[in-house]
Amino acid sequence: MEATQAIPVKYDMDVVRWFTIMAAIYLVVGTSIGVYIASELAWPFLNFDIPYITFGRLRPLHTNSVIFAFGGCTLMATGYYIVQRTGATKLWNNGLAWFTFWGWNLIIVLAVITLPLGMTQGKEYAELEWPIDILIALVWVAFGLNYIMTVAIRKSSHIYVSNWFFMSMIIMITYLHVVNSLAIPVSLTKSYSIYSGVQDAMIQWWWGHNAVGFYLTAGFLGIMYYFVPKQANRPVYSYRLSVLHFWALTFGYVWLGAHHLQYTALPDWTGSLGAAISLAMIIPSWGGAMNGMMTLSGAWDRLRTDYILRFLVVSLAFYAMSTFEGPVMSIKTVNALSHYTDWTIGHVHSGALGWVAMVSVGAIYHMMKKLWKTEMYSDSLVNVHFWLATIGTVVYVVAMWVSGIMQGLMWRDYDEYGALTYTFVESVSAMHPYYAMRVVGGVIFNLGAWIMLFNVVMTVRQASTAHGTNAVPAKA
Amino acid sequence: MSNHDKIYSTKLQNNLERSTVLLFVLIALAVSVAGIVEIVPLFYLDSTMTHLSPNVKESQKNAGDTAPIVWNRKPGQSLDDWKPGDGVRPYKPLELAGREVYIREGCYLCHSQMIRPFRDEKDRYGHYSVSSESMYDHPFQWGSKRTGPDLARVGGKYSDEWHRRHLRYPREVVPESVMPNFFWLENTKVDAGNVADTMKVMRKMPFYPSPYTDADIASAKDAVDGKTELDAVIAYLQGLGNQIKFTEGVNYRD
Amino acid sequence: MSEDQNPSGDGKGQTREQHKHSAEIGSRNPYQNPDGGVTTTGHVWDDDLADFNNQPPRWWMLGLAASAIWVVVYWLYYPSVPVPTSNTFFKGVGGWSAIKEMEADKGEVDAVRGKYEAKLKDMTPAAILADNDLTEYVKRSGKVLFGDNCAPCHGTNGVGTKDKEGLFAPVLNDDDWLYGGKIDDIYTTISGGRQGMMVAHKDSLSETQIIDVAKYVKALSEGKGDSEPAGKKVFMESDCTACHGADAKGVQAMGSANLTDTIWRFDGSLEGIKHTVAYGVNSGDPKARVAIMPNFKEAGKLSDADIKKLAVYVYKFGGGQADAPAAPAAPAQAAAEAAAPAVAAK
Ligand code: HEC
Ligand code: HEC
Ligand code: HEC
Ligand code: HEM
Ligand code: HEM
Ligand SMILES: [Ca+2]
Ligand SMILES: [Ca+2]
Ligand SMILES: [Cu+2]
Repeated sequence: MEATQAIPVKYDMDVVRWFTIMAAIYLVVGTSIGVYIASELAWPFLNFDIPYITFGRLRPLHTNSVIFAFGGCTLMATGYYIVQRTGATKLWNNGLAWFTFWGWNLIIVLAVITLPLGMTQGKEYAELEWPIDILIALVWVAFGLNYIMTVAIRKSSHIYVSNWFFMSMIIMITYLHVVNSLAIPVSLTKSYSIYSGVQDAMIQWWWGHNAVGFYLTAGFLGIMYYFVPKQANRPVYSYRLSVLHFWALTFGYVWLGAHHLQYTALPDWTGSLGAAISLAMIIPSWGGAMNGMMTLSGAWDRLRTDYILRFLVVSLAFYAMSTFEGPVMSIKTVNALSHYTDWTIGHVHSGALGWVAMVSVGAIYHMMKKLWKTEMYSDSLVNVHFWLATIGTVVYVVAMWVSGIMQGLMWRDYDEYGALTYTFVESVSAMHPYYAMRVVGGVIFNLGAWIMLFNVVMTVRQASTAHGTNAVPAKA
Repeated sequence: MSNHDKIYSTKLQNNLERSTVLLFVLIALAVSVAGIVEIVPLFYLDSTMTHLSPNVKESQKNAGDTAPIVWNRKPGQSLDDWKPGDGVRPYKPLELAGREVYIREGCYLCHSQMIRPFRDEKDRYGHYSVSSESMYDHPFQWGSKRTGPDLARVGGKYSDEWHRRHLRYPREVVPESVMPNFFWLENTKVDAGNVADTMKVMRKMPFYPSPYTDADIASAKDAVDGKTELDAVIAYLQGLGNQIKFTEGVNYRD
Repeated sequence: MSEDQNPSGDGKGQTREQHKHSAEIGSRNPYQNPDGGVTTTGHVWDDDLADFNNQPPRWWMLGLAASAIWVVVYWLYYPSVPVPTSNTFFKGVGGWSAIKEMEADKGEVDAVRGKYEAKLKDMTPAAILADNDLTEYVKRSGKVLFGDNCAPCHGTNGVGTKDKEGLFAPVLNDDDWLYGGKIDDIYTTISGGRQGMMVAHKDSLSETQIIDVAKYVKALSEGKGDSEPAGKKVFMESDCTACHGADAKGVQAMGSANLTDTIWRFDGSLEGIKHTVAYGVNSGDPKARVAIMPNFKEAGKLSDADIKKLAVYVYKFGGGQADAPAAPAAPAQAAAEAAAPAVAAK
């Protein structure tokens, strides 16, 4: 067909560039705070008696900065990038995209100010107070509208699989954020959730789990489905697998929240509903991991030279690993041990560092070259980053597995007289070496993030020298 | 391409992939099911709440003399007429102020308030928690990580003075502790106006509003007068977990 | 599959013909599938994105089916279904509930400790102490009971906790007792709690009197009380002897401290003593020393059996004073000294 002479589309890539740079910055920020709070648990004097930086106030800042600042900027950068390119169209509304850029960054700035001041709703991953919640809703809906309208005006007949995942994330997160955040204000900086007790717990973890399931999983699968085939230069392994696992995840994940509340005062039936589907989620999750891995089959030899591909492969391995671990942790007997312990934290970070951060980093390096029409400033630094990220993640996760399982076992251990063996503080002191080991893992990972930031900045500078401007128009 | 008739799709899927609206609608439907099945019943099934549960009532009946699960406040009684074991009650003004500090300082990120029905948790922390115990908790404080011990029944376990010293400098009391020093909580006085406003908000809640009377709210001023945030947290901690007097042999969960 | 499901670039049934992007044209599909001639779906996005028509792996399809079956089976077995009409829920054919699981687990440890607990139940603490087998049991189960409930105030193994403000609660592994070191005294202390009360003297005594009496108390502890006649006069004539006794050795019934030894409950410096005398203990004065041992029984914090165990456990730190028939080997000289052959007090 007379395909080849189609007119090149000019994309709106400036906003993507800025989101990309911000993502690289926020990875450094978020993991630095992570290292700091990890150190506070190992060496509590680091609280320095300063209210604003105690563990209890910085931990929400850590989660917000990695999930919403780093994760959010990555999602918006890649989202705007993917939706334009797979739809062969410009953004529906570039101005609105800039609104999301400034709005989102304003939210992050507000988080950085309010969380250390102790302004919080006290709901995990939904700590920000009500005026910021409203802003989040506005910006998120703007992002969603822009995204979905861009899908609607696409020039391809079919919607590419990445966009399915992004759309399901956008819809679900809107829904979750609005329902979970409903609160009655006492003042401008303090409000209380309208839900209480059990119902609040269930709604909180319906939100909490799906912040994981849709924001940190569906969204990032959308990223995976674009960047893995692109970087490997191969088609997605199986279209049918995409379809099946997409619908299985979209329908299934939502049920899982109750696995955070097993054995609590939540009625037994609710926990069982969640636990059953949690275990069933291995297969849909592995569908995504498989599809990515098999896409790479035939490109394995490239791993030796293509460092970006390495990030993507390892991220898929961690994705498969943590979506196996999670379902196992949902089994009642396992959860009885793992809940409340560092095992959960280990699981979180094998997902967060191994999967979310690695796949994002792969995507960012890939986009850097395209967006600035240049090679990376240093490929060997990409390689160094790869090793730091991988080793750091492994050290972190192993430390938390050991400490978590040890904690769980110590709490429940009975001696031959049928008496509890360990006091609680004995378990606290037993954690110390592992908390120190986690700091080491975190520092290694964090170092990698700094290196990426350096590489990104140098690449942008190199590009601007080469092209004489820093906002180089993207390739068509 | 010759293999076009071997597309592994269905007509529906094919249509979805061509229509933004259809895809949107179907996703929106798919993600709604779980919430409707899993969450909505928690709001109307009596068995969700210990004090409403028909099964618990049955079990209580068999056990004979049992204490109330929720405080049955007589007209004219003030919050101070409540005694431990009288049942779940709304927070007293100073406790409410302490609860705000507890949330602000992120205590819930290290401490759970949910004793699971396990033999070891019973031996260590006491009777397992039941849903009605957190009915006035907006938001819930069950936590998800035990860096420190569970606090669901810490009320009455230590003296106020111990809490004061422990919260100020935990490691001077418990050398192994990794808890931050909170001595600076002593530097700020509780704001009575804010406490009264908070009580009004708790009374307005659509689900499980705290049944404060106007007199309760008016009492806030005197109750918190001159108290520091440290006093408030201690009051909050001392009120935890001693509201219901559990009867041996009653199944409080289902 | 029918022709109109064919999403290739032939434009059939498509509404976007006019926008057709080059990339979408099937004929440009550059890929060969290594796995046996399966081609792509024919869609191409962004120049080279496409998807193969491979079937998902067989294990995966089987796994998906198995998962669906698993969910149904699990939901039937465990309580999973809220049934709105009966206002309760379907409890599952397995008959499982979290509470039943706990009862079963508890059964296991109860089988081990049951025989001890059954014996313990009707025994006095003194009798438990006399039973070697039970004492061994109590030592084990006392560890975590003490560690989780008492150590925060009394320190690991009862060594006491000292912070900037001094010793927080009495040392329990020595042979100095405010309320008595007999096993029943200890039991009474734990079950009912203690709140020693000493009135503040800042109003009843003058500044100099307080200084004098403090000097006297300090001298007393050094064994030279007579060197402070002025203070001695205050001590004898004020209300001190009412609580601490004429010999200043303390009265265990009210937990008043022995002032003639070198063991200090609070601060034994001159300043510290002045402070104690001026503001008292639990006197209600804002600067008073605070000494509250919680009540573990009425408050329902610990069971009677646990309190008995703790009494024995604390006794066995070594400072317990004999009153049981067979005063066991170890307890420090105090036990020997105080060896008034015992009828369990009470
Ligand atoms: C960094 C984690 C951390 C934070 C934040 C934290 N704690 Fe703790 N907490 C601990 C640890 C560890 C222990 C166990 C050691 C000890 O007793 O200090 C503990 C013990 C306690 C205890 C004693 C519990 C018992 O039964 O022995 C209380 C009460 C307590 N914390 C209250 C609080 C309050 C109130 C806050 C917030 C103002 C808070 N904690 C914040 C870690 C933390
Ligand atoms: C909140 C802190 C606190 C806790 C918890 C606590 N104690 Fe005490 N305990 C005290 C104080 C303070 C005193 C001294 C009371 C006084 O001086 O009137 C005391 C006194 C005692 C005494 C009397 C000592 C003497 O010299 O006569 C014994 C015995 C004792 N405690 C045992 C225990 C045991 C066993 C536990 C655990 C079940 C326990 N305590 C828990 C604070 C505590
Ligand atoms: C109402 C009874 C009462 C009176 C009167 C009283 N005391 Fe005491 N005193 C106590 C009690 C009880 C304690 C121990 C408090 C505790 O450890 O809980 C105590 C403790 C002390 C201590 C601290 C001992 C230590 O080990 O740190 C000193 C010193 C002391 N008294 C001196 C005096 C003097 C001097 C007077 C008279 C001016 C006096 N007391 C009058 C009841 C009394
Ligand atoms: C250098 C890297 C990092 C370090 C050292 C680190 C450290 C920590 C620490 C110490 C905690 C608190 C654990 C506890 O309460 O015991 C935590 C929590 C958490 N972190 Fe990180 N973190 C890092 C990176 C990340 C990244 C990149 C993400 C997400 C993309 C992330 C997501 C989270 C989440 C979601 C939690 C909360 C876990 C929970 O509530 O169970 N972290 N992190
Ligand atoms: C099928 C996939 C998964 C299942 C079934 C699953 C299951 C679980 C379970 C059972 C817990 C512990 C809950 C508790 O005991 O409190 C948990 C915690 C968590 N998981 Fe997963 N998980 C999955 C995948 C992932 C992935 C890919 C991530 C990526 C980041 C992730 C992030 C988290 C986080 C952040 C928490 C901590 C929540 C908290 O307590 O604060 N999970 N998950
Ligand atoms: Ca002593
Ligand atoms: Ca003495
Ligand atoms: Cu989850």
